[in-house]
Amino acid sequence: MTEMKYQTKPLDIWNEGKALRQQYYENYAKAHEKGGIRWAGGAWAYSAVPAGLGDDVWSLTGEPYGASVAFNKEFAARCQEAIEAKGFARDLCAYLRNYLGSVVLDEYVFGGKFPKPDFMWTTHICCSHAKWYQIASDLEGGVPYFCIDVSTGLIEDFNERRREYVVNQLLDGIDWLEQTTGRDYDDQKLIQAVYNECEATSLWAEICALNRTIPAPLDEKTMYSLYVFGTIIKHRPEIVDFYRKLRDEVQERVDNKIAAVGNEQRRVITDTQPPWGFLEIFRYLETFGVVSVGSLYTFSLIGAWEVKDDGTWGPRTTPQEQGIDITTRKQALEVLADWTHARPEWQHFYSAQKKSDMMLRIVREWKVDGVMLHYNRGCEGLSLNIAENRLAFKDAGIPVLPFEGNMGDEREFDLERTKKAVDSFLELLGVK
Amino acid sequence: MITAGIDFGAKNVKVVILDDEKIVARGSALTGFDLKIAVKDASEMALKAAGLKLDEITHITETGIGQGSVAFAADSVSEVGANAKAGVKLLPSARTIIDVGAEEARAVKCDESGSMEDFVVNERCAAGAGAFVEAMARALEVELGQMGPMSLKATEAVPMNAQCTVFAESEVVSLIHAQTPKANIARAIHDAIAERVISMVRRLGITEDVLLVGGLAYDVGYVDSMKRGLGVEVHVPELPEYVSAYGAALVAQERAKE
Amino acid sequence: MFDKFKEWYENRHDYAQAWKKQTGGKVLGYFCTYVPEELLIAADILPLRILGSHEAQDVTEPHIFGMFCPFCRDCLAQGLKGRFDYLNGIMISQSCLHIRQTYNSWVKHIPQEFSYYMYMPHGVQTPHAYPYLRGELEVFKKALEKWIGRSISDKDIDRGIEVMNKNRQLMKQVYEFRKQDNPPLTGLEAMYMVVSSQMVEKEEHNQALEAVLKELPNRKLDRNTGTRLMIIGSEDDDTEFVEMVESLDSTLVVDEHCTGTRYFWNEVEPQKDRLAAIAARYIDRPPCPSKDWPERKRFPHILQLAKDYNVEGALVIQQKFCDPHELDMPALRQMLEENGIPTYFLEFDVTVPIGQFKTRVEAFLETFALPDLF
Ligand code: SF4
Ligand code: SF4
Repeated sequence: MTEMKYQTKPLDIWNEGKALRQQYYENYAKAHEKGGIRWAGGAWAYSAVPAGLGDDVWSLTGEPYGASVAFNKEFAARCQEAIEAKGFARDLCAYLRNYLGSVVLDEYVFGGKFPKPDFMWTTHICCSHAKWYQIASDLEGGVPYFCIDVSTGLIEDFNERRREYVVNQLLDGIDWLEQTTGRDYDDQKLIQAVYNECEATSLWAEICALNRTIPAPLDEKTMYSLYVFGTIIKHRPEIVDFYRKLRDEVQERVDNKIAAVGNEQRRVITDTQPPWGFLEIFRYLETFGVVSVGSLYTFSLIGAWEVKDDGTWGPRTTPQEQGIDITTRKQALEVLADWTHARPEWQHFYSAQKKSDMMLRIVREWKVDGVMLHYNRGCEGLSLNIAENRLAFKDAGIPVLPFEGNMGDEREFDLERTKKAVDSFLELLGVK
Repeated sequence: MITAGIDFGAKNVKVVILDDEKIVARGSALTGFDLKIAVKDASEMALKAAGLKLDEITHITETGIGQGSVAFAADSVSEVGANAKAGVKLLPSARTIIDVGAEEARAVKCDESGSMEDFVVNERCAAGAGAFVEAMARALEVELGQMGPMSLKATEAVPMNAQCTVFAESEVVSLIHAQTPKANIARAIHDAIAERVISMVRRLGITEDVLLVGGLAYDVGYVDSMKRGLGVEVHVPELPEYVSAYGAALVAQERAKE
Repeated sequence: MFDKFKEWYENRHDYAQAWKKQTGGKVLGYFCTYVPEELLIAADILPLRILGSHEAQDVTEPHIFGMFCPFCRDCLAQGLKGRFDYLNGIMISQSCLHIRQTYNSWVKHIPQEFSYYMYMPHGVQTPHAYPYLRGELEVFKKALEKWIGRSISDKDIDRGIEVMNKNRQLMKQVYEFRKQDNPPLTGLEAMYMVVSSQMVEKEEHNQALEAVLKELPNRKLDRNTGTRLMIIGSEDDDTEFVEMVESLDSTLVVDEHCTGTRYFWNEVEPQKDRLAAIAARYIDRPPCPSKDWPERKRFPHILQLAKDYNVEGALVIQQKFCDPHELDMPALRQMLEENGIPTYFLEFDVTVPIGQFKTRVEAFLETFALPDLF
């Protein structure tokens, strides 16, 4: 352990976050008891849209669920076996396999039977998205299913025509939601959810931006537990509230120089989802004073960013801050589409260069010394172009450690071997 | 000053003892199941050859898979770090050092002082190279040491279609059945492994001079395949298997002075 | 009589270079069969599909992570090795993630005069995809016009549509012959025919097809038809594999590949708005699995093919790591088996271990020869 340079303490808000997350999985499981509705879909689903069906509409998003399964290695192994027994390939998305395996076993990772959704609602940008819920719908005996194609390209190309393609699908989707659930749709609730989502995702970016400070007030391992709200209930008021408090607390840490890692001496970033069962890798780095301050993934899987006047990244100005008054359904969807399609983590689906540029920006602005690239066999979507990103770092003269693994399938991760590679990386960073 | 480097390989534990930068003794032992015994055997062998006692060694640095398992080592260095150090000592113009052993393959790019600039360590695709040649030698019923010279006598390049070692094995068996000359098969095996290793090394970019170390560097057939595949000269030092241990001992020299 | 196709396929680079020299035209390499060739032909460009060469290679490792399909890596290898250096441009029409990386790396490392990424929608089952794709085609057309320095008229587009449609009709007519009890062409010949159409000038290909169609009625093959097989799955131009299968007392009588029926099955139905007509054709074509949702519309189509061609069994193949096909595989096999069509699954790499696959396919074929118990 290297020398402690900074004061450090756990987050005050930690337990509140924990309770919120627990509440979320419980709300979903128990929705029917209170006459509510539950739906399943991806973390990137337009979740604000079903919110127009009422306040008692709860969702289960597949990727965070798949990650929760991965934490429980014994259960994950059973899920994977169950879905492989159905003929699904082992190299498919690990979240998808964990989720579908859990459906096949009819076991909820938080206890009890797998709560069957009333409908499925998702978006498609990764090849696995739409197929995931197509299969899930089959496995659950034909649950009604709606999916929106969002593969409309880079944000700079997102013109009115392309937006209309998305918005028209969403409008159809609303009709479908009404038909499927038999409920009337409330545009006011949609509008509120849109405001919430914009604020929550902008707040998350603000929190990440604070991590530019030396010492970093947050380490990435902790951020994993916090960004997750943006992947499960990004449109809900309790998240806006939570992120506001979190922002204030992180600001306070910045003001008082409270570090996430007291011996911080080198700053790194990572890429793609980590091998969830092996977060100890981060602890190992920390014993050498190396702290991961984030990644394009943690910052922008849900965070909403924009380039500020000084040319650096900052939280995106929300419609409410811009004084935009949303009055109609169509307008709400347009605002939301504009907001959503600018998501940095969507840009890399089209361009390796764009992703390299964004990561290099983070390296500069967050004062990063090295990059760890997780060649993640569990996610084709986010490891897309990763080898080209590595070349870009090399060209820029930034030390980079590629390591192979899998976010959700421990059979494909070798802890000892990875630690050894990390050792070489530490030598490269000059701390070992 | 006397220092030592210990390298835990998948197959052998190797020890090198230095007096300043001069190698005074070496030792090695099969890794086997008990690392402690292997370390003991290898270091006793080296100490005996050097006529030294353990406590006469100022600093011991270890490297390799079993790091941390020897109580008497002061610290450790990664194999790529050790290879970089030793590589430029052995061949001052070396900038890319490729290390292929029984189970692992790795490569490091370094500057003239032996500091590492970038590295790759094997993932699945290049794993098990040395062990594979051994298994294939058994399948061909030739002495391991004969694989190299034999493959240099190949008259024809037989393509190996299989992309992984499991399939490759069954392909070799069918080549044997098809009465393909053994020399041609041996070359196909070397070429297939070289291709996988090169594929990995290309990530670093190939900067000359290239130095090939590790157990497989003894195999002249494999070295030839590497030369052809890389399209550049490939240098092999004396006793390539001891390079990582030598590097660790060099690091020990530096650290002892700190 | 199918030699011409084989020759084209094997000497694709010579052909394209000669074409360029002779016509002074531009050659554009493309990555996926969702590329609207109609517009390229209208622009007097030679569209040439970039495929792999089925050789082991060591050049793509720095560019594409090993968990992506071997096909996309093999394609990139061709570019990195300089085999396509004569191209004037490249393009991709958005399909699966894997092949996109080939395009990305290609653009970055092999400079091009023209490169284009077309936002082909994935939601081909929503009615909004028609106007959307029409719009994309318009943007693409403008980019092409800028590149070639002239405008593309309706007449040009009509010519593009006509040539493409004709090519599709002719290939379909050839496929008709495969329905016969003893087809006068092998699956290998059919494969050469379709893949070569992705490589040479369509008019010339059409002429060759017409010549073949004249002779086919009188052609008899000196071979046993054996078990009638269908082959379904990811990109496949593994001629060595097909040849091996057909050496085992079986014939591939139809396929569902993007190097086969998926490529040419449906035509552009003329409309006054040409771009809308072309858009409809690509939206309605037999889909790649990555676009086949929420319903699986590919399945009834496959079943129909199996019935029409009197298929006894199916080889379902996929490129290793090909997620789109992997995701359909269990349901596809179940659907076929439920309809009395046994399936056999094989995973392809850049090269396949032919000896081993032979043993496996033989075993599969033996199940058809089992005598009935009563
Ligand atoms: S982006 Fe990754 S985690 Fe998400 S569906 Fe695709 S493969 Fe799975
Ligand atoms: S569809 Fe499959 S075979 Fe084709 S490029 Fe994509 S992953 Fe590869």
